[in-house]
Amino acid sequence: MRAFISSVYLFLYAPIALVVLFSFNAGRNASEFSGFSTAWYGKALGNSFLVSALQNSLMIAFTSAALAAVFGTMAALGMERLGPRMRALFDALLAAAIVVPGVVIGIATLVALVALFSFVNPALASLWPGERPPQLGLGYGSIIAAHGLFSMALVTMIVKARIASLGRDIVEASSDLYATPLTTFRLIVLPQILPSILAGFLLAFTFSFDDFIIAFFVAGSKTTLPIYVFASIRRGVTPEINAIATMVLAASLALILSARLLIREKKSKSGE
Amino acid sequence: MTAALVAPAAAWLVVFLVLPFVAMLVFAFGERAPEGGYQPAFTFAQFANLPTRATAFWNTLMLAPAGALLCLLVAYPTAYYLAVKANPRFRLILVSLVVVPFWTSLLVRTYAWMYILGSRGIPNLLSMIGIEDVRLLNTPGAVLLGIVYGYLPLMIMPIYVSLEKLDRRLLEASADLGAKPASTFFGVTLPLSLPGVMTGVALVTILLLGEYLIPQLLGGGKVFFIGNALVDLFLQSRNWPFGSAIAVTLVAVVVVVLMVAMRIAWKVAGTRQVDLV
Amino acid sequence: MTKWYRENAPITAVKLADELMRLKRGSVTRRHFLGVTGLGFATAVLARQPGLFNSTAFAGDLGSQMSIATWPNYHDPATFEAFTAATGVAVEVNVFGSNEEMLAKLQAGGTGWDLFVPTNYTISTYAKLGLIDELDMSQLPNYDPSTQNARFTHEGMVDGKTYAVPKNWGTTGIAVNSSKIKAPVSSWKDFFEVAMTEADGRTMVHDYQLTTIGNALVSLGYSFNSIKSDELAKAEELLIRVKPHLYAINSDYQPAMRATDAWMTMCWTNDGAQLNRDMPEIAYVLGKDGGEIWTDFYAIPKSAANKPAGYALLNYLMAPENAVKEHIANGAPTTDSRVLKLLPEEVTSNKIVYPDEASLTPLEFGAAVTLTDPGRAELMARFKAA
Repeated sequence: MRAFISSVYLFLYAPIALVVLFSFNAGRNASEFSGFSTAWYGKALGNSFLVSALQNSLMIAFTSAALAAVFGTMAALGMERLGPRMRALFDALLAAAIVVPGVVIGIATLVALVALFSFVNPALASLWPGERPPQLGLGYGSIIAAHGLFSMALVTMIVKARIASLGRDIVEASSDLYATPLTTFRLIVLPQILPSILAGFLLAFTFSFDDFIIAFFVAGSKTTLPIYVFASIRRGVTPEINAIATMVLAASLALILSARLLIREKKSKSGE
Repeated sequence: MTAALVAPAAAWLVVFLVLPFVAMLVFAFGERAPEGGYQPAFTFAQFANLPTRATAFWNTLMLAPAGALLCLLVAYPTAYYLAVKANPRFRLILVSLVVVPFWTSLLVRTYAWMYILGSRGIPNLLSMIGIEDVRLLNTPGAVLLGIVYGYLPLMIMPIYVSLEKLDRRLLEASADLGAKPASTFFGVTLPLSLPGVMTGVALVTILLLGEYLIPQLLGGGKVFFIGNALVDLFLQSRNWPFGSAIAVTLVAVVVVVLMVAMRIAWKVAGTRQVDLV
Repeated sequence: MTKWYRENAPITAVKLADELMRLKRGSVTRRHFLGVTGLGFATAVLARQPGLFNSTAFAGDLGSQMSIATWPNYHDPATFEAFTAATGVAVEVNVFGSNEEMLAKLQAGGTGWDLFVPTNYTISTYAKLGLIDELDMSQLPNYDPSTQNARFTHEGMVDGKTYAVPKNWGTTGIAVNSSKIKAPVSSWKDFFEVAMTEADGRTMVHDYQLTTIGNALVSLGYSFNSIKSDELAKAEELLIRVKPHLYAINSDYQPAMRATDAWMTMCWTNDGAQLNRDMPEIAYVLGKDGGEIWTDFYAIPKSAANKPAGYALLNYLMAPENAVKEHIANGAPTTDSRVLKLLPEEVTSNKIVYPDEASLTPLEFGAAVTLTDPGRAELMARFKAA
């Protein structure tokens, strides 16, 4: 059993170890180790395309996850009070948003937006009073929207499950005591569902940050980190990519650890 | 109030899910423009052409469940160990370590596998002990390995959660009543963890039905999933209508697989309390 | 010309005087002087278009970034580094495996490319679809049509207008690792036979219709450009039979050939030259039964966001002294006699790069119709999905 478990962890971590190892490669090639060097970290941070791809990815992941967290939570709260028919329809759409494969989401969004723009852009051009009418096109907006679709459905599902597990009685008690719905939400409901919202946000962020296939179709001229990495697999990976991947891994590990410590500190303060 | 709460989500679902799907459906009945792309028409030709992609559909329908089951074979013992056998002091760390790989790009990790399976990796080690010219990369085996690697954490987690909820007193009771470990496992542990297993298998199968990257990188353009056929139709043949028809069909396949999985899950678990998504 | 470029900041009076003194002392050539001071550029423009003083050729703001879409292993990275050093414009290099994919991307819109490298058979379609503009030749003083070999360049012109200027020409042949494969390979017929026998599981074909289908057609005795359905059906039958024996369907075959994961592949001149240079056991063979001869061009997409930078890089690449460095690095033969003159003997005598005229005779240029023919597109897609 032990041996089996160790080999599972070896299986999970061998490629990651390799990625980290090659980030310290002195050579140009990501497939032949020719000495230790940290030069690629500097080169990665000095590569304006790689850095802007990373920034784009962070911005898109944060925005889509934040929108998803807000709208998803609102939907989860509102759905409770929908009629059974509407609720079933809503549930079906949310499930669809989660199970429809990413490649289909990417293609369908592309097809629909290209068709939409072919109507909207000429219309805008004819109505626009000025010299240069705005042109709608693929870009940040389309990636955020397409990522947000899955993320929002995810957050709604998670928060809805949490709300369902909450006792109705404390909410009722609160309103019996003449608290306004908003006060009840702020003081009673929100603290209880906050961990679920945060969990949903984190999942959504991770999903968006790592997504390749949806962005590949709807990104237009924008480059996200996965798109950049995919392109560099074609033109020959340099250890720059390994360096960026290692930095992202280190940053997320640091975040997880500090979150853990924060929670522990909070718990010990509140005397649990 | 209710309307205001659900309005943004509803609008999002309509604009970025329903409308694109409708657009795709419309395109699926259209024609390929002479230079590629789409031109309006009303024809069933695209759907009539679907049998030419039978192999890709078949590959996908075989490899996706096969990949999920292979994943399960590795994931179950791991989850069992984590939930039941592992030292409680290290349990949290061990569980976190299963999730951490998700924080490095799947693309980068799959690229690492390209190296490990390529000539400079394992075949090179094998040639040192006299086994020459072994080829691993760009085979269905490599794709399956990539799949197990990529989806293992997604399989381990639901099983771990269902095993962790398991009341340990049941296991002790079973042992006290003289059951051998094996019969305790098959009589108590396994049935109680089935919801987790079902969730994991269904989740991984459904995600695999739309897989593109792993066959692309580890299959060398030879091991084709329907996702790859789809991308190819948009990025090489520029046949948007046929691509749309395939995408619509793929969604139908996913829905059918999902419904079958739910049916099985309900039957096995004997309850309707199985959350697949 | 390009020296001017390298120090493209407007020259100061002091520096001008300084350079003038150096010229007098003979420590710099006239060429360098003209380059550094920008006079070379001015005279070149004047020579070309009398009276045009306020050319916007390099005067416009080039921005800080641009993007080029090109092929694998096709440029010397040092070229782009030098361009960036000279102009402050960082160049993002996007690599594609097929013209078909480039076209698909441009058709879907929003590529962000400011310059790209289409092959001869695609130019007329791009022009027809309005995806590329006629080039503004006044922004390309380094391009000289009179030094170009018309055999390779005529497809850049559509209806008498220049839409694209040539990058280089080349052939599509067979790269064979002779230490692994002993059977003789000298035709596409041999290629497909060996792929199913000695090179079983070790052969690569391109990931696009033109050459993969074209070479299968050639091996069967048909034209490389055939769109006849019965001939295509035979080619499909052959390709489907070969597929289980292939290592991969991928246009980026250098890594696999270098790692000896693959032993034989469809191969372009430049890759053949690079592979043979580093691994002499890899030979590059032209099919004696036929195959492709091609010219790659530079064109500027209509949708380019930073056209000034696109033109600037194109003009930079057209300068013989830059083109010759690119040539030596990537091994693709030139269409420009000015570049040919600057090449060292070892390049011009390299039979992979400049093969005998006789071996080129059976080869065909790709025909525009193959790009848009639905039969070929669907055949390729079926082959890959099989």
